[in-house]
Amino acid sequence: MIIFAIIIGCIIGALIGSNIPTIPYTYSGYLAIAIIAALDSVFGAITSTLKRNFDMKIFLSGFFVNAILAIALTYLGQKLNVDIYLAAVVVFVGRMFNNLGTIRRYYVEKLASNKIIAKAEATIKQVNKEQEK
Amino acid sequence: MNKRKIAFTLGIVCIILTVAICVQINTIKNANSTVSKGFSEDNLRDEVLKWKEKYDRILNDLDVAEKNLTKIREESTKDDTTSSETEEQIKLNNNLLGTTNLEGPGVEIVIEDDPNPIGVLEDVSDHIVHDADLRAIVNALKNAGAEAISINGQRLVNTTSITCIGNVVKINNEKITSPFTIKAIGYPESLVAVNMNGSYIDDLRDWGIQVSIKKLNKVEIPKYTGVISAQYMK
Repeated sequence: MIIFAIIIGCIIGALIGSNIPTIPYTYSGYLAIAIIAALDSVFGAITSTLKRNFDMKIFLSGFFVNAILAIALTYLGQKLNVDIYLAAVVVFVGRMFNNLGTIRRYYVEKLASNKIIAKAEATIKQVNKEQEK
Repeated sequence: MNKRKIAFTLGIVCIILTVAICVQINTIKNANSTVSKGFSEDNLRDEVLKWKEKYDRILNDLDVAEKNLTKIREESTKDDTTSSETEEQIKLNNNLLGTTNLEGPGVEIVIEDDPNPIGVLEDVSDHIVHDADLRAIVNALKNAGAEAISINGQRLVNTTSITCIGNVVKINNEKITSPFTIKAIGYPESLVAVNMNGSYIDDLRDWGIQVSIKKLNKVEIPKYTGVISAQYMK
């Protein structure tokens, strides 16, 4: 359900995005950092849905506030001539990898447990059959 | 929190995210016409693009300011015969100088390199359009009474040179390449005579160069975008 929603959202977004005009080159750096922040929020949301502690308020506020804060920090960094956006990239990408790791572990464990359950069921069936004989 | 609501929100957020990503990709694609080689080069390109944007913006501002100036001049000279004559003179001079966008009847000539494959024994140089060809055509057009001429959007003013730099032609310090579109304002019937038998254009056709010429009721010629400076004239 959630995966379908994400895929459909991505397709619609790509269709819209490829048909609207581009932004001036000066602002593309800010948009890039906002994209990284938003991407981090989305992965965070997927992780929390898997862990069943998803909170809509936290997700939405994180999505927008993180992006805006990242843009503001990048702007400040440009004014101070310090590449603050690098810090933002490191933090967000690091968190993204953490979240991706959690998601991967969840599915791997689920798959493994499914296999074990299937094996156990098969064994039980066999035992039952032998007992019937 | 039910699952449907979560899915819906995530979907919407994904739409926003992908739109942003696509816009970003398109922006970068437009900006990166050449392959990057290093960090310093990236920075330089950033700088150039930013300056170019600034330049375009200022050029637009200049446009608006010039329009305002014209309007103010027209209004202030409305009731005064001598100053309205001067105004006319200024307008004519600006048109001749090349600082205004013009339109009027004229011709459009499109010249293109020979598209056919060239034989082993032939010289490639004979089958492409050179700066000299452009100069000859411009000269012929001027002889036929052209009042304003542009090549690929570059207005020809009195300081314009048409020179060859390697495989492109430089006009007004801008590099332009084939196909060349020469636009000229003037009496179309006489301008079109540059195409007559035995003319330079006719010779070009013999070399396989593609030339098309057509009369138009409305030819638009852009203004000269460079800087007109006079340091030594007194």
